[in-house]
Amino acid sequence: MAKESVESGLSWEVRANSHHYHKHKQKKSLLCFRWGRYADNVVRSYKYSPLTFLPLTLFEQFQRAANLYFLLMMVLQCVPVISSIPWYITIIPLFIVLTVRGIKDLANDMARRRSDSEINSRPCDVLISQSFNTAQWKDLCVGDVLRIHKDQVIPADLLLLCSSEPHSLCYVETADIDGETNLKYRQALSATHTKLTSHPSEEALAAFDGVVLCEEPNNRLYTFRGQLHWGGECHLLDNEHILLRGTVLRNTEFAYGLAIYTGADSKILRNCGKLRVKTTRTEKVFNRVVIGIVLSVLLAALFLAIGNGVFSSRVMGQMGVPSGLVVDSNPAYTGFLAFWSYIILLSPAMPIALYITFELIHTVHSLFIGWDLEMYWQQAEKPAQARNTSLSEELGQVGYLLSDKTGTLTQNRLLFRQCCIAGEIYGDASVRAEDVEPMDLNWNPYSCGGLFMSAPSLVEKLRGQQCPLSRQFLAALSLCHTVMAEWKEEAPVYQAASPDEEALVGAARELGWVFLSRTRDFIVVSELGVIRQYQLLALLDFTSKRRRMSVLVREPEGGLKLYCKGADIVILERLQKDFPYQERTEEALELFAQACLRTLCIAVRSVPEASWEQWSKTLAQSAAMATSDLDALLEKLYDQMETELQLLGVTAIEDRLQEGVPETIALLKKAGLKVWVLTGDKKETAVNIGYSCRLLDPDTRLLEWQELRQILQAPDPGVSFFKARQTELWAVDTETAGAKTAVVLTGPELAEFDQRPEWGATFMSLAEQCQSVLCCRVTPGQKADIVTLVRKHTTSITMSIGDGANDVNMIKTAHVGVGLAGVEGGQAVQNADFALSQFRFLQRLLLVHGRWSYRRISLFLRYFLFKTCGFALVHVWFGCFNGFSAQSLYETWFIALYTVFYTATPVMCLAFFEQDVSAESSLKWPELYMTGQRHELSSPLMLSLSLLYAVYSSLVLFFIPFGVFYNTAFDYQTMAVTVSMAATFTATFEIMLLTKYWTKFSLAALCVSVVMFFICTRITHNKRLFEREPYEYNFIGVSDKAFIDPVVWLTALLTSWTAVLPSMTALALNVILTSHDKHKVHSVSHQPVALNSRFRRGTPLRRSSYALSQGAGPGRLITSGTCIRSTAPPMDEKVTASNNSTDSQVQIHIKDNNNSLNGT
Amino acid sequence: MVKQEKASANRPDNTAFTQQRLPAWQPMLSAGIVIPGFVLIGLAFIGIGVALFVTSRGIQVLEIDYTGVEQNSPCFPCTDQNRKNCVCDVNFSIDTLFQGPVFFYYGLSNYFQNYRKYGVSKDDYQLSGDLSYFKAPSSTCSPYEYDKNNKPIVPCGSVANSMFNDTFKLFQIVNGAKKQVSLDGKGIAWWTDYNIKYRNPSVTPLKNAFNGTVKPLFWSKPAYELDLSDPANNGFINQDFLVWMRRAALPNFRKLYRRITDGDYAQGLPAGNYTLEVSYNYPVLSFGGRKKVVFSNVSWMGGKNEFLGIAYLVIGSMCVFMSIVMLIVYAKFKFPEED
Repeated sequence: MAKESVESGLSWEVRANSHHYHKHKQKKSLLCFRWGRYADNVVRSYKYSPLTFLPLTLFEQFQRAANLYFLLMMVLQCVPVISSIPWYITIIPLFIVLTVRGIKDLANDMARRRSDSEINSRPCDVLISQSFNTAQWKDLCVGDVLRIHKDQVIPADLLLLCSSEPHSLCYVETADIDGETNLKYRQALSATHTKLTSHPSEEALAAFDGVVLCEEPNNRLYTFRGQLHWGGECHLLDNEHILLRGTVLRNTEFAYGLAIYTGADSKILRNCGKLRVKTTRTEKVFNRVVIGIVLSVLLAALFLAIGNGVFSSRVMGQMGVPSGLVVDSNPAYTGFLAFWSYIILLSPAMPIALYITFELIHTVHSLFIGWDLEMYWQQAEKPAQARNTSLSEELGQVGYLLSDKTGTLTQNRLLFRQCCIAGEIYGDASVRAEDVEPMDLNWNPYSCGGLFMSAPSLVEKLRGQQCPLSRQFLAALSLCHTVMAEWKEEAPVYQAASPDEEALVGAARELGWVFLSRTRDFIVVSELGVIRQYQLLALLDFTSKRRRMSVLVREPEGGLKLYCKGADIVILERLQKDFPYQERTEEALELFAQACLRTLCIAVRSVPEASWEQWSKTLAQSAAMATSDLDALLEKLYDQMETELQLLGVTAIEDRLQEGVPETIALLKKAGLKVWVLTGDKKETAVNIGYSCRLLDPDTRLLEWQELRQILQAPDPGVSFFKARQTELWAVDTETAGAKTAVVLTGPELAEFDQRPEWGATFMSLAEQCQSVLCCRVTPGQKADIVTLVRKHTTSITMSIGDGANDVNMIKTAHVGVGLAGVEGGQAVQNADFALSQFRFLQRLLLVHGRWSYRRISLFLRYFLFKTCGFALVHVWFGCFNGFSAQSLYETWFIALYTVFYTATPVMCLAFFEQDVSAESSLKWPELYMTGQRHELSSPLMLSLSLLYAVYSSLVLFFIPFGVFYNTAFDYQTMAVTVSMAATFTATFEIMLLTKYWTKFSLAALCVSVVMFFICTRITHNKRLFEREPYEYNFIGVSDKAFIDPVVWLTALLTSWTAVLPSMTALALNVILTSHDKHKVHSVSHQPVALNSRFRRGTPLRRSSYALSQGAGPGRLITSGTCIRSTAPPMDEKVTASNNSTDSQVQIHIKDNNNSLNGT
Repeated sequence: MVKQEKASANRPDNTAFTQQRLPAWQPMLSAGIVIPGFVLIGLAFIGIGVALFVTSRGIQVLEIDYTGVEQNSPCFPCTDQNRKNCVCDVNFSIDTLFQGPVFFYYGLSNYFQNYRKYGVSKDDYQLSGDLSYFKAPSSTCSPYEYDKNNKPIVPCGSVANSMFNDTFKLFQIVNGAKKQVSLDGKGIAWWTDYNIKYRNPSVTPLKNAFNGTVKPLFWSKPAYELDLSDPANNGFINQDFLVWMRRAALPNFRKLYRRITDGDYAQGLPAGNYTLEVSYNYPVLSFGGRKKVVFSNVSWMGGKNEFLGIAYLVIGSMCVFMSIVMLIVYAKFKFPEED
């Protein structure tokens, strides 16, 4: 038996109630050895242990080229022969950098440990020797039997054994897995159900000794293959018997399950992806530049060293005793030493202070994000949070926003907003749902609020018994659905598999048609207080193909009625010819579509007794046939019944968006971002949301897989795409045509990309021209794959935003991951780089903080490169005039203090406070954001230009003083002070040119820095210090003389002015060329981004959808009575089909559903 | 109200700093500011340049190369390395009065006093009079630390060893007779060097401090006998020594030798013929160096320096030129339709 199973791929063996057996085989590791098979149920996201922290952190840090480089510098400086500047200049900052980084990593790790232990210590009930004891999640082991309470999060992937509900049904909420909030049902095997519930459950469960053989752990959320071997029988297991870790048990008192996959083996964790360290693009470019600098420094040092060798050999051959030019060994050796000395001397071009400051700036930017009141959500008292502090500039460059739908774009609340009955429209969708004046519904004892529609006239008509159509309309709403009613505190509470249905039934309740309860055969409705019992004859269930559902009921009076609801196209073509109110209904549909409401058409048909009898017979017969094309047959039969319908009206449901979503998306689109939606939800819902949140325009053409596939397969995809766009009549202008196309894909279709990797690039180039891409029914893993696809084929920065565990993978994969904290803090936030409370805060995060941050950091990097390289490269030129001897042109103290004291604070102020335009203007002019998307400020070209500028300024810094001091009586030390002064002035001038936003801090920093230069110089040239350490303070008295020498001052002034002249000219030209643009941004008041597409000309395409859970509806559960608690002991399902028509219906439904479930 | 504030402990502070609304001055640059600004700065630079240039022009400089490379030059015989105590006379004449006070420099070219290993080859402790470093000079002085007999060299190191040792006497030829121009060697070194940086050991007589040490190899006299005429001008605080020890920045340099400040020549050197009697000791030809003497008077900006003035003029003109270009660009940009 086991062998067979292994052959069929079912090699994962779980023995129930054998804790020790599995415990023994648990995965363990010591150092690098691992053994064991089953993972334990402990989440470990931390990296360090007390022992490994130091070696690991050092290893990580020295993987950064820069740190290694600094270490090398430090070692070199400790060698006296080559040490051109003292060793402490590098070691102190290096030590600081390592410590700060280390502490930061440690703090992050501690936070991870805390959140891990919070999860690991959640309680759960484990069966231990015939009783359930409370244990912690981490103690769980494969094979344990668990009891899950209502509303408890499921701790591991379980096989459902039985539950407190009839038929061992249980409901789970999978919001954290696939983003759908409607409840899903899971049902235990009938074998386990019957045998384990018959006894007191503890005993029976303790005696349970089944063996589960199933697939190895994998990341496929929607499939499961396995067998349960128990009592000599083999039962097949599929996804319906499995409760996944991370889902929540709802509406079920208890469920008992057998742990199959725990911890890292569970499906959701398999989907989580790896923790990866994110570095920003700017940092990468910058690192490349740094490597470039290091290489050039090496090259320069090499040339200078060769120069030194040549010089030495020339001098050595000819020099007499008097010359001081000591050459005490061979020229090659002196050259070799000079090489290292020059490396040390030129190393300040890439100072370690840069990295410290960089880190500091990132931290401050993150703080600013957390401090922003505009991103603080009052209701949950949650400010925004930058969890990863080193990505802030990336926020200013985002090109692709990949968003989750449920919980991110939508609130997952469906509101009945409008309806159209007999051509009359009730309710007004232009009023916000919160502002709707509540109707007086006191007459209705069942009313419990939640209707956001104000239509007193409708209520009047209903109560006045004036309008039979409206009464029928409401009767249809209260009858035609698959909702369950549960009685709580004297009021029915509805449990629906589809939130749409819940909204419809709820609306009917408010208006007086209260769905009270259902049994397998009857539906009880209170119609304006009159209780009526309808006999349910047939339920023609929803499928995504049919896009409608109907119920066939016998009225208490005896008449047969078919109530049907469905998508408008489907219903309208099934209506009686020349139905009344046609025009007005169509108008209403259009109006609802414009308001982005989800519409459903409601229709009725009186069925003659004779035709019903004939139909039910045919149905029973065809069900008995059980041929392979049963589905088609059934569909045809259903079709026959759903004809000659009479339209009652149209419902319009609003899928509540999160606050400010359409505005945000419109703004982000204006800012040049591509917004994609990746959702686990259905296509219809996703498309609908796409329209309602203005991601798609009403006239956007949707490009679906079939068409896309043809385009991708075509020899020239671009041309095909162009043609595809042109097929639309309205596509007169090709430009707009491109912008008005959107691609809609689903998960299974995306899977094809795995086989055709060459499509990726083509697809991305097409997607680039599209308005948006919607991916529906995708697994967390696929979400991440899409992010990877975008990352791979574009140069843009990607950002993922989501709120659930299903978004964790894509959040980790994207360049920047944003987690929505929303109402309940979730897994997404734990793994995100930034945590927001509301989607609309994204505006500010990207357009204000991101843009500023990008600008500030780019300016900072460019300026820092300029000032340090400009200052250090002087030595190259000086080398040509001192025999390439690695003589420093500066006092060592100046080298040490220049980057830290004399020039650091102004650039930090720039990096903290700089604003080219205010926050308001940034939001008013989203176009400004495009600079970042094009990476204009931090491109390699810009950085190279800065370097070039630095080279220029170093030339100026050396050669002007050179000209002045050449052949004069000025000594070396005076020249050193002059050049230092010029370098400081240059750095100061340059920062003055860059600063556009002069706060008091900037001004103070600037003044302090310059004053610091003079004070520190005076201090290091001080007599006392010299007497203490003559070698370190050799410049005694130089500044006394130099600072009063007009030539020194004039030289420094001229030098620094000449050094910044190019920057000054560029600035001036820029001012002249763009003056009026900037003026506009600063002064002209501008309307905030208006949703101008709200009502536009032309005929928008109507959208109507019936959103149900994936695949088929839960009709069979209703008709089989499985989920109806109020019924007496459920009937055996295996009653012969010929018993009565309803039972045959049951059978058909079971078949139908199984097929469609398997199909999805 | 109070309750509300209490409830929101997470609420960020509403301060100008945290909300990034610090009051700030945002200079609104426009063409109307930028172009005149450039013109003004340019003009200011030109102004400074003119002032410097004019001042520099007013300074008289007389430079005489006495290396003796050419055969007919007076010091040519002295270039023979074997000749000791060679003296040569360099004659020159002055046409107009050389305004006083006249500064007398010696200049060396192609001489790398800024060579790093040369520069560090000295012992600051020794030079500040610390006797323990007389016995054991710092290793930085290498290879002029000890002589062949392993005796410490004081002052040690290359800088001291290579001290310039030509001496000069200046005579005016008055009616065929030589009239010596008195040269003032006091105060030619920096005050800090003379008073703080370099100190003789407090041993009297100074000579005793140097017991057990040898003079630098190249020196003809020990440090305590550098100036026989003035006992106070010896050891490490000898003015010429101090001037030499202050390293030059670039391979072509001058160092102050004497000042002509008193006696008949306080007002300057009158027109006439002069003879410079050079005691030629310092060999420079081996490394292609040159020696020269320079007479110069000074202004507020020190010695003659034409480069600075010209540089100011050039940069100033560039600014003005740039502003004209900008004006043209601005005009083209502002009224493009009028073309």
